[in-house]
Amino acid sequence: MNLYLTLRLALSRVAAAKVRSALTMLGIIIGVGAVVALTAVGQGAQQGIDSSLASLGANQITVSATTPTGLQEADAEAIAEIEGVLQVSTQVRSGGTASYGSESISVGIIGVSPTHADLANPDVAIGSFLPSSPSLQNTRTVVVSAVGADDLGFTEASIGDEMRLQGVAFTIVGVLDDADGFGAGANVYITQDIARSLFSKPPYVGAISIQAVSQEAVPPVEYRVEQFLRYSKGVTRDEDATFSIFNQAALQDTIQTVTGTLGILITGIAGISLVVGGIGIMNIMLVSVRERTREIGVRRAIGAKQSQILTQFLMEAVVLSFLGGLIGLVIGQLASFGFSVLGGWDFFIDPTTVFVALGFSALVGVLFGVWPANTAAKLQPVDALRFE
Amino acid sequence: MAMTDFVVELTDVRREYKTGEVSTVALAGVSLKVERGEFVAIVGPSGSGKSTLMNLIGCLDRPTSGSVKISGKNIDTLDDNQLTALRSKAIGFVFQQFQLLPLTSAVDNVATPLLYQGLRPKEARARAGAMLTRLGLGERLEFDRGRLSGGQQQRVAISRALVTNPDLVLADEPTGALDTSSGEQVIDVFKEMNAEGRTIVLITHDLDVAAAANRRIYIRDGLIERDEVDSIAGAR
Repeated sequence: MNLYLTLRLALSRVAAAKVRSALTMLGIIIGVGAVVALTAVGQGAQQGIDSSLASLGANQITVSATTPTGLQEADAEAIAEIEGVLQVSTQVRSGGTASYGSESISVGIIGVSPTHADLANPDVAIGSFLPSSPSLQNTRTVVVSAVGADDLGFTEASIGDEMRLQGVAFTIVGVLDDADGFGAGANVYITQDIARSLFSKPPYVGAISIQAVSQEAVPPVEYRVEQFLRYSKGVTRDEDATFSIFNQAALQDTIQTVTGTLGILITGIAGISLVVGGIGIMNIMLVSVRERTREIGVRRAIGAKQSQILTQFLMEAVVLSFLGGLIGLVIGQLASFGFSVLGGWDFFIDPTTVFVALGFSALVGVLFGVWPANTAAKLQPVDALRFE
Repeated sequence: MAMTDFVVELTDVRREYKTGEVSTVALAGVSLKVERGEFVAIVGPSGSGKSTLMNLIGCLDRPTSGSVKISGKNIDTLDDNQLTALRSKAIGFVFQQFQLLPLTSAVDNVATPLLYQGLRPKEARARAGAMLTRLGLGERLEFDRGRLSGGQQQRVAISRALVTNPDLVLADEPTGALDTSSGEQVIDVFKEMNAEGRTIVLITHDLDVAAAANRRIYIRDGLIERDEVDSIAGAR
């Protein structure tokens, strides 16, 4: 009795009792399906976060003012001289009103220094970013975030049009893509020089973006910048600081911790549902052994060894759990395809997920099938034949 | 005297069953020899011990004391795997309720003992098909038990018992679940098989069925009451 025949026998058994097999597999189907879908959602979210981070650059450090006079242009100039700093840019921010045609909305107005484009590498969907040439810093040009463009009712043809910020006319030069950073709302970007004339007074700036020479240089640069600012502003206690420092790597660490926790959670759910599914299979296999006691007796009488009976029942348990895992995998992939459409991330079938889902469901069949199969194999032929 | 070829050799066999404190004696010391080529009926009422005797001859059970030799092998010295191997090679079973395997066609039922012996599926099916054809079931190879009459099912079961070419065919009330004419046909099959030289031990409570054999062993209360051999039955 080779494995192929044993497999065929097990499949015909499972097929002969369709409702019962389906109900038995349900635990595994739901468990594997849920885990596959959750994993895909997690990976999709991770992918979105990663691409946001990538657009911001991993070797960036941002110093934000925590008071209106917390940072000055002079600080930025000094920081640019610190060892390990490639370049810096400054930003000023304010809330304001933007209007285009008949639409008028509240926006965040961000004035950026000419180096911003190099540093933040903004993702421009249509048009271009603000001019970086020093001679053009006094032109009233504006770049609008995707959300802002949406809210204002932009079309492709809006590039080159005029819109108003705080009542002042600006020429629209570009619209940014979605991956504009976290919580990207309706923002507009203008040159810092123009921003000065609108709302902000020199020499204060809202934030300084720093690009380190490499990702490895980020921690020492961050340390030096902090020491410099503390010294220059005479900060001795943390609560007196007029600035806060933030780097992408730290954020990435935080996100990795969160996704790690999420992973443990998913693994936990997977473990519990597979155990529950496995117990279901074990239960039905024990019932099956009892129902088929006479058949086992006949098989023993016509020459089946204990090991051949064991293999037969074990195979049935594995077929049940593996099929359950396969169906769960398909359902989970369909669900994650749905989520990817809703969530706007790329759908892909992760080979690891497929392998782990099928591998573990087969393993569950073996683990929970051994006891019933062994019970069947250990039946005394004479008792099994006499069983009513 | 030349070495006689005994398929079954029981010497002072006792079999007791213990249920809690109570011990029941099913066989109280039975000695019995069956030669190759005999057609023996073991006759007795229910509770006489004939089923216990069948289980022992069929290597399905072990005696409490005494020795059971099947095809020259003492079953007491064999472990479960060796006993299974002996059963697979030496004995073909025919049961009262046919006991065809469910969800399995006639030909696959008959092929199963060969598959357990490790034959290739193709060869096993070919031999099974040939055996079924010999027993007049060539047209019904792919039928499962739901589509076969009782008599046909029993002929499939007999094919399954014969396909391994065993030293001994052991039949337990093979006509018990059949109507008279199907029963007679089954008995005719056994007679034919015996005429071809096969050894058959048939267990029954039915004296008409027992009459087909050329030796009848009457058993009662766990002991052999009478051993009756037809004078015309050649080789004794």
